[in-house]
Parts: sequence; structure tokens; C-alpha cells
Amino acid sequence: MNNRQILVRDLLVLLAFAGWALALPHYGSEFVVSMALTCLMYVALSSSWGLFCGSTRYMSLATSAFFGIGAYTSAVCLGQFSWVESILLGAGLSAVVAVVMGLAVLHLRGTYFAVLTFGMTELIMHAVTFFEKRFSGTVGRVLTVAPESDTIYITMLLLAVLAVLASILLRRSRFGLALMGIGADEQRAQTLGVNTRLVKTAGFALTAAFGGAVGAAMAVRWTYIDPHTVFNPFIGFQTVLIALIGGAVTLWGPLIAAIVFSVLAETLRLQFPQIYMMSLGLLLILCVLYLPGGLASLRWDTFQGWWQAGRQWARSWRAGERKNG
Amino acid sequence: MAEVFLEARDITVRFGGLTAVDAVSASFRAGELVGIIGPNGAGKTTFFNAISGVIAPTSGQLLAGGKNLSGRAPHRYAAAGIARTFQTPRVFADMSVAANIDFGLKFAGRKREGSWHLRDETSILELIGLVHLADLPAAAITPSQQRALEIGMALATRPRLLLLDEVAAGLTEAEVDNMAQLIRRMRDELDLTVVWIEHAVSTLLNYVERVIVLHQGRKIADGTPAEVVRNPEVIEAYLGDEMAEAAA
Repeated sequence: MNNRQILVRDLLVLLAFAGWALALPHYGSEFVVSMALTCLMYVALSSSWGLFCGSTRYMSLATSAFFGIGAYTSAVCLGQFSWVESILLGAGLSAVVAVVMGLAVLHLRGTYFAVLTFGMTELIMHAVTFFEKRFSGTVGRVLTVAPESDTIYITMLLLAVLAVLASILLRRSRFGLALMGIGADEQRAQTLGVNTRLVKTAGFALTAAFGGAVGAAMAVRWTYIDPHTVFNPFIGFQTVLIALIGGAVTLWGPLIAAIVFSVLAETLRLQFPQIYMMSLGLLLILCVLYLPGGLASLRWDTFQGWWQAGRQWARSWRAGERKNG
Repeated sequence: MAEVFLEARDITVRFGGLTAVDAVSASFRAGELVGIIGPNGAGKTTFFNAISGVIAPTSGQLLAGGKNLSGRAPHRYAAAGIARTFQTPRVFADMSVAANIDFGLKFAGRKREGSWHLRDETSILELIGLVHLADLPAAAITPSQQRALEIGMALATRPRLLLLDEVAAGLTEAEVDNMAQLIRRMRDELDLTVVWIEHAVSTLLNYVERVIVLHQGRKIADGTPAEVVRNPEVIEAYLGDEMAEAAA
């Protein structure tokens, strides 16, 4: 397949997914639709996470910071501004915060970067808590103005489609190539003419804008928000887990994993919450050990490889048993 | 005489208490082929890192085409036409050989008209002799091919000055000669200034027009190969007559 055919294929697959998700509320139960909403939220979060963090290998744990900023923006703005404006404001504010945060920590790599983004998330959460207690005199906020649930669903679907579309287009752009170069060997990319500081900051801000928009759209679902729910680090962790298990560098990995996760979450979490967390952990371990490219890198050959390896192992095990017996 | 393309003034690099490069000044004229030699730990690679922007010198100035580049980020150096290779090839392992070349063309090489030989991916691959491997991932080719690719990546930025860091290290004798000829050819046909660091002194001396000798971070000689090998300080630094033999 040449480049153009791949582009057409990707766009068609995306269109099919979007069509399916669009039709879902018309025949699915309320339970299924709410599950689909969570699923779309994680598609948007993990796909947008992957487009910066996957290609550059900068592990950001700040997704919940941007989510929370978006949520608070819509809580504050929805009275005065329209739905679309509130979401755009949430996205914009998150992007601005990401630029500031990025200038401070994007020269660090690996663990340092991950830990600092996590620390900054906590800092923002506590700052918001302090501000609300001291100046607004509240712990949380009630969202009185909320759009129809159909509107929320369509918005989330749009954000998910946009996130995947951004990944598709970015892969074909110079900007995407620069991100890949930074992930492969940052200094080499620099000596070949990439302004890495600019590219990293812009990529981080793009990821953050999606986080903010998703937070802004999701806040109204919850009617009551406080810093501990919207800045919940679990949102950030789950985003990273989904992206890694699906394959952070791949296009469809985050989407596939988000679906797997939502199904697991909704079927297991209510009845067996421990089993849900355990299966997440197990899935991550299995992926890291046996499928480093993530679920999206699964091919027919992968199964054949496992089958061969399994047979070989069984044979050597039997041989060992004969010798000992 | 041709104009000076790059001028380094009193470049000093310190790591903690260690002075790796000590007030080295050097100028490189357009179209020159200059070698830099020196015993292990003489500061050759550190000097290279400093004049390609990879590390910021502790003090000193760097002028390229009249512009002061000291303290700027490496992409500015690339934009000014300074390209370099690394001692251990740093190719993008997951990308194809062709995509590795394409990278430089898409960034620093985009704004410059290069020589005819650097017009596109294929012409650069032809020059470095890797056309037949274009679609392979860079991780799958041999180390000496990776070294050629490393040079190709630097050429793709359509540079005016090419800094080569021990490109002949670890190659067989025949390969070393091929490499030296490629370097000569690049200088002649691509209108480049080439600065070449090498450990294998004898090969280098046969091909360059000027040699700079570094020893313990200082520049101890700068001249034609014939002059440099007779310099007593240089002979002492190398503790032997390897160089005198090479010159004979």
C-alpha cells in the first residue's frame, strides 16, 4: 500500500468508527451510551496523549491537570458563555498552562519529566483548592447550566474524532516528523535543524488543549465538581495506561485499548472492583513483557510466534522431565 | 585567499575542575579540508561539540559567516550551514535509510539551495553509495554503512561546513581509503569546507591540506602536514615517530 492508500484507509476506518458511535444512542440502552461516553473520553485523551508523548517518549502525567483546568473553566464560564465557547476556553487555558509548564520542565527527560508533571498537577490541584476555600468560600462547584446529554455525547464524539484525525494528519507533517526525531534521538534532530524547544512546547500544548476540552465537556456530566474529582490523578494514569497498552506510537492503539478498557471497567468495576484494578495491572505487565508495541501491534505472526515459542518450551520441558525421570 | 567561513576565538570548555578545551582559536576558510588530530583525551571531540553547538563553551566566541553563534541552540548552527557527524553513528534506527536522509532535507536543508549532488534523497544516497538499501530500516544495515548514512544525514542539511568525527574509526584499511576519497570528493564537488577529526593519523595526513594538533586541550600546532610532523612539540606529544614515518 502506498502512502495515499494508507491515508484513505485510516480516514475510512475513522469514519466507520464515528458513524457507529453516532448511531449508538439511537438503539443502545442508557447504560451503553454512558459507557460509550467514557470510552470516547478516553479515546480523545489517550490519542492526544499519544500524539505528543508517544512519539517523543516524554511521559507526561499531567493529563488530569489539563482535564481539571478544563472542568473548572466550564464550571466558571458556562453561565456567561455558550457551550462551544466554554469548551474552547477550557482548551485554550490548558494550552497556555502547558506552555508555561513546558518551558519549565521540557528540558528534562525520562523519570524527571514524568515526576515533575505529576508534581505540577498536584500543585495546581492544591492551588485551586486553596483559592476556592479562601476566595470563593466553597469546596466544590455545582454546574447549574448544563446542555442536553445528546449535546455532550456529540461533543465528546467530535473531540475523539478530532484527536484521532490530528494523529493521522500529524504523522504526515513536518511537525510530526520533528516529534518522531525527538523521540528517536533529540540531539541528532537538533543538529539536523529541528528547533526542539519550540516543537516540544507546541506538541505539549496541543495535547493539553485536548485534555482541557475533554474536561470542559465532561464536567457538566457530573453536575457537582471539586478539585479532588476533576484533578484526580487516576484520570492521568488511566490515560497513560490505555495509550501504553494499546501502543502509544501507533495510530489505532489508544482507540482499541480505550474500548477494551471501557468494557472491562463497566462490566467489572461495579461487581468486582479489585479484579478490575488487577486486570489492568496484569494487562500492562503482559503488554510490557510480550507486546511492547501494544495491542495495535498484534498481527497474525505474533500469535504464530507465541505458538512456536510455547511448543518449543513444552518440548524442552518434556525433555527435561525425561532426563530427570 | 578564500573568505573565512567559521572562526573560533578562544574557545574554552570546562567540566567542573577539568579544562577539556583551553582557549583554542582556529579559523576555517571556505573550501578547505582541515584535519584535527591529537592523542586520546586531547579535547578533539569536545572542541567539535563546542563548535557545532552541542555543548555551550564556558567562554569564547564563534563566528559563522559574520554571525555570532555562541550560546545558541544547535538548530541555529544547522541553519547557519554547519553540519556534523557523531563518533558512534546516531542514525534514526526505526526509520528507513531514505527517511533518515529525508529528515535533514526537511529541516535545515529546506531553506538552502545545495549543490546539484544534494538535490534530493536519491542523489545523496548515490553519493554515499547506499541507494540499494534505501528501503531498509537504518538499524538493519552494517556499522560501516551506518557511518556512511550518518554522513548522508549531515549532507542532507545542505551544509557549507561539514564536521566529521572519526568517520574512519573501526573501518578496514580498504574502507578507510574509500572514506578518505569520499571526503575528498565531497569537498571538491559539493563546495564544502570539511573539518575531519581522526585517530588514524597517517591516513588523515595524506589527504588534508592543513592540520591542527590538540594536546591536553591546547592547540600546539596548526599548519600543513609537512610542517606539523616536524614540530618538536607535536613529536613529543605523540611520543614517537609514527608521524615522521607517515610524512616520509
